[in-house]
Amino acid sequence: MAGFSELIKNFDKTRDYVRDFFIYGCKVRSDFDRKSIRTYGDEKRRVESWIGDYMRYDDSVRGRSVSISVDSGHIPENPLYNAYYSRSFTDNDIRLHFLIMDVLQDGESRTLKDITDILNNEYAQLFDEQTVRNKLKEYVEEGIILSEKQGKTLYYSLSADRADEYLREFRGLDDTLKFFSEANDLGIIGNSILKMCGLENDLFFIKHNYIIHTLEDILLPEILDGINEKRFISFRTFSAKKVRDSSQPGSENQVIPMKVLISVQTGRRYLAAFIPAVNRFSAFRLDYMKTVKKGDICEDYDVVKAKFDRNISRCFGVSFGMRNDTGAVTPMKITFFVDEESEPYVLERLEREKRCCTLEKTGDHLYTLTADVFDPNEIMHWAKTFIGRIVRIEGGADSVRERFRSDIARMKRMYGGDEDEHIQ
Amino acid sequence: MNIFSEIYGTYFRIAAKLLENEVTDEKTVRETVQREGFRDSVLFLPQKLIPGSEDWGLFSRGTEGELRRITKNAPVKVLTKLQKMWLKAKLSDPRIRLFMDDETIAGLNGKLADVSPLYTPSHFRVTDRYADSDDYLNERYISNFRNALKAVKRRSIMYIEFISGHGNRVSGKFVLLKMEYSPKNDKFRAYCYLLRNDKIKSSGLINIGRITHIVDTGRIFRTPVSLDDYFSSRKCSSPAVIRVTTSRNGVERFMLEFASYEKHTVRDLETGEYTVELWYDRYDETELLIRLLSFGPVIEIMGPPHLREQAKQRILRQAELLDSEEDRYAYGNNE
Repeated sequence: MAGFSELIKNFDKTRDYVRDFFIYGCKVRSDFDRKSIRTYGDEKRRVESWIGDYMRYDDSVRGRSVSISVDSGHIPENPLYNAYYSRSFTDNDIRLHFLIMDVLQDGESRTLKDITDILNNEYAQLFDEQTVRNKLKEYVEEGIILSEKQGKTLYYSLSADRADEYLREFRGLDDTLKFFSEANDLGIIGNSILKMCGLENDLFFIKHNYIIHTLEDILLPEILDGINEKRFISFRTFSAKKVRDSSQPGSENQVIPMKVLISVQTGRRYLAAFIPAVNRFSAFRLDYMKTVKKGDICEDYDVVKAKFDRNISRCFGVSFGMRNDTGAVTPMKITFFVDEESEPYVLERLEREKRCCTLEKTGDHLYTLTADVFDPNEIMHWAKTFIGRIVRIEGGADSVRERFRSDIARMKRMYGGDEDEHIQ
Repeated sequence: MNIFSEIYGTYFRIAAKLLENEVTDEKTVRETVQREGFRDSVLFLPQKLIPGSEDWGLFSRGTEGELRRITKNAPVKVLTKLQKMWLKAKLSDPRIRLFMDDETIAGLNGKLADVSPLYTPSHFRVTDRYADSDDYLNERYISNFRNALKAVKRRSIMYIEFISGHGNRVSGKFVLLKMEYSPKNDKFRAYCYLLRNDKIKSSGLINIGRITHIVDTGRIFRTPVSLDDYFSSRKCSSPAVIRVTTSRNGVERFMLEFASYEKHTVRDLETGEYTVELWYDRYDETELLIRLLSFGPVIEIMGPPHLREQAKQRILRQAELLDSEEDRYAYGNNE
């Protein structure tokens, strides 16, 4: 394939493709209708190259279907990290990287002119000062090189913090890196340190491992900065359908960022934020977000944050509901049947999974969970894990109770209950 | 400051590795690329490293045909600001005490004194983690964890006493294969084999938090063990087959929630419905069942028969509970 490169410039585009392959499976070329055949082919080849062993192909009516099938609880390293290790660069970038590091390796501080002269005289590499200056500036920002002004002149030296020396000095750091590089919260950064030192995780597996989250980590540094600096941030959001159509610009949002919310059971992560335009809190899915940019300082940040801290304690998951925080919704009460003697584990489950709700014994083998939360609807996905034990549901919204009732009726028909046979 | 940067990239890393030696050769270049690169890197990268018409100029050709690096020293492994900020953030995670003693943590903290953490625990909120997580501050727990981790590394035969999930006291000699962490449970477990007369008797999992006593027998388990065999011994004999409908955004929700499973998906082109085969640890079958039920009528468990039957029984019991509640309500109203 002429012109194909393993490396990429645009992370967002690749993020869309990997997500489609990974989440949906069953993708054939015609599903990616906004793309040329060549783009699809290139993206697929790249993903194959990174994730080789985990790609799976099936023949379908409309062509070969591609998906990534990973038993992610039993892998030592997230294969999607490779997307981050594929950034394209110029010949000058890589040459200057190793040359400048070499020049500064003796620990001496040097001026731009010194460095450029050494490159020209001792390495026979002709670079103009501007090119070297730009690279030095970039590396100062990355923290690889330190700059110090002496009089009117800037002196550059190499940072003394070396990964291999850290590993020798701090006992247990290797195991720390092995674990945290696979646990969530920007594990990719820990993995990059391991890789520098030629190490790999050979100790830990992660159960309930949503490896796809790493693709959203690209957004996190900017969001975290926004929170730290108490700034507004802006970003674009895409609906579930449009997220796969990168030609769509999406909707522009300006918010005050509060926290990153993580669901370890549904595989979703969100940014909880205050939306000044509608004067309410909301949660935005990270996998539907792109192009995060920091904005102005928010003068009222602490006031908004205090309000958020009050409100978040009444979220069962991530939903702030559709009412103002002063409004009222009747607390929802769900009563479960539990035989404490023969099935104490059910009671243990309720206790450990009830989150912000309260649980009390309300009768023989009956336990009632009270949920005074903004959005009772959010509880039901969890409550349905107790199907077979839900004696009654009270309060909350009528629609929620009615939906549960009709769901059970539909499931009864679906799985062929005896009554169903009579009806037929 | 961005993790998506070439300085962390695979090509830079391979170049750095090759530049460690003053002299190398084409064979080593190709082998290193093959071993460390992406699947197709061997088609693109060697010509960038080996002097020729399109190389980066990092090596020159010596008189004997060898490759000589143009740099004077082996590259140094400088930590970036982002990497240090990440490390600093980890210092406030209680789990770091499982790996480092307090003195080492204090030393690392001192080394990173001028670095701001990339984040603090307050930046994140896990919405649905179980409340009974392991106690990472408990000295006994930390000691048990470290003993278990050491045993995994050395493949030592350990004498362990623990309380099982059913509340029974269990003891015996075990070989620990790997540690597992679950973010949902916030717990560590160890994959293990129970030994009888130094032979593998059965496979299992031990919760580190349930260990009451763990001691190294001083002997190493030398029989080769394969993790694949271990997992195979626990894998379901036939996958769960699930029909996923398109209502309530079912496909997206289901595929995301079950993304961590090994699966095979087939889409019906007429209806848009998916049929998904999921492979699971048979000891986790109940967990799988209740998670599937939580999707309500959006999905249907098609098989295997025993899994469908369990779902059916729970649904019928639920329907009965609702019916009797309706009767009670109607009766109460009549009164």
